[in-house]
Amino acid sequence: MTRSPVQADAELMEHADGERDDAELAERLNRDPAARTKIAALHEVGELVRGHLELASDDVPDAKFAAMWRRIDGQLDAPRGAWPRVVAWFDRYRSHVITGAVSAGAVAALALVLRPAAPDTGLAGRAGGAIDVRPAALRASPEIDALDTPGGTGTVINLDDEDGHTAVIWVSPADTVENL
Amino acid sequence: MDDRPLVAAAQRGDRDAFRTLFERYHRRAYALALGVVRHQDDAMDVVQDAFIKAHKYLDKFEGNSSFYTWLYRIVMNVAIDHLRKHRRVKPVELDETRVENEGDDPLLPRILGGNPGRALVDKQIRARIDQALDELSENHRAVLVMRELEGLSYEDMAQAMACSKGTIMSRLFHARRNMQKRLLDLIDHPSPELVAELTGTEPAASAEPADETSPRRARSR
Repeated sequence: MTRSPVQADAELMEHADGERDDAELAERLNRDPAARTKIAALHEVGELVRGHLELASDDVPDAKFAAMWRRIDGQLDAPRGAWPRVVAWFDRYRSHVITGAVSAGAVAALALVLRPAAPDTGLAGRAGGAIDVRPAALRASPEIDALDTPGGTGTVINLDDEDGHTAVIWVSPADTVENL
Repeated sequence: MDDRPLVAAAQRGDRDAFRTLFERYHRRAYALALGVVRHQDDAMDVVQDAFIKAHKYLDKFEGNSSFYTWLYRIVMNVAIDHLRKHRRVKPVELDETRVENEGDDPLLPRILGGNPGRALVDKQIRARIDQALDELSENHRAVLVMRELEGLSYEDMAQAMACSKGTIMSRLFHARRNMQKRLLDLIDHPSPELVAELTGTEPAASAEPADETSPRRARSR
């Protein structure tokens, strides 16, 4: 049975990795420059991956690992159990939790300040279910029909416009100029 | 100082001995974790959890292997667990028991530049390595990193990943070939700075790709 190029290369890789001791593969490597280049290319990719990850590891500042050790050291003594784990979790994510709490508080305060004012209908008892304890006269705008003004005359003018109801009381004393 | 006295002291509760072991291996463990989980903060979490686990189970370490061999297994387990817990996209895995899948290519008989140390100075190459690692499936990446960073045998990797040696070989083959393809793509469309970096010459004024006669580009296909 003939092997496909992919299978042949996979075996070549195994041989180069020291996983397959095969005289036929060794012979192929000896006589085939392309096979040697393939193996060199595999080693090259390996070196690039290794070098890249090692450089990435070297890029991490010592302070980060020092902080990591402090966290590890703190947890090594921690008693086992659910509550200590919760405390340890909070300790680890303290800054996240505080930031989240402060943000939520700020948003709530802002929502409270910026919410639209409810119109004062005087019917809070009906809307909210609470009992309105104001005198009946104050639950609706009063309307004055007549005014008793001893020693003079009184005029009542009831105005209704877009601002609501307004009562104007005009009192003329009996000794005004007109009556002299 | 050998690891064994440190491990023995740490097993007796000597915190300084365990700290020395941490300082000796934390960067190596980080490189391994970063290769698998791909995010710096996640890699830091993995290393931290791995050392806490190592301390917890230190009594069970009998010294049949080196301390680091034992530690990297813990790092790998924690890293793989981390991937499972934080998996955002379900990876599409081919039938990994077979090397040859539809659309497979053999290995490319080309080297990149022949000088990986010099190539790694270039930010484009490092960025492309990062990108290529990101594009591998989690399993392919884990096998590649274990092999290239730690030189693990197929058998050891099969144990670490709870799969067959054949599967490991298949994953490693695909991972290496895909990395090679992506890196060669960069070499085939290089910037003048990259050409200069690889050839050790001054950057050319034009942005033309390197020609076929570039001395560092072995091409035998």
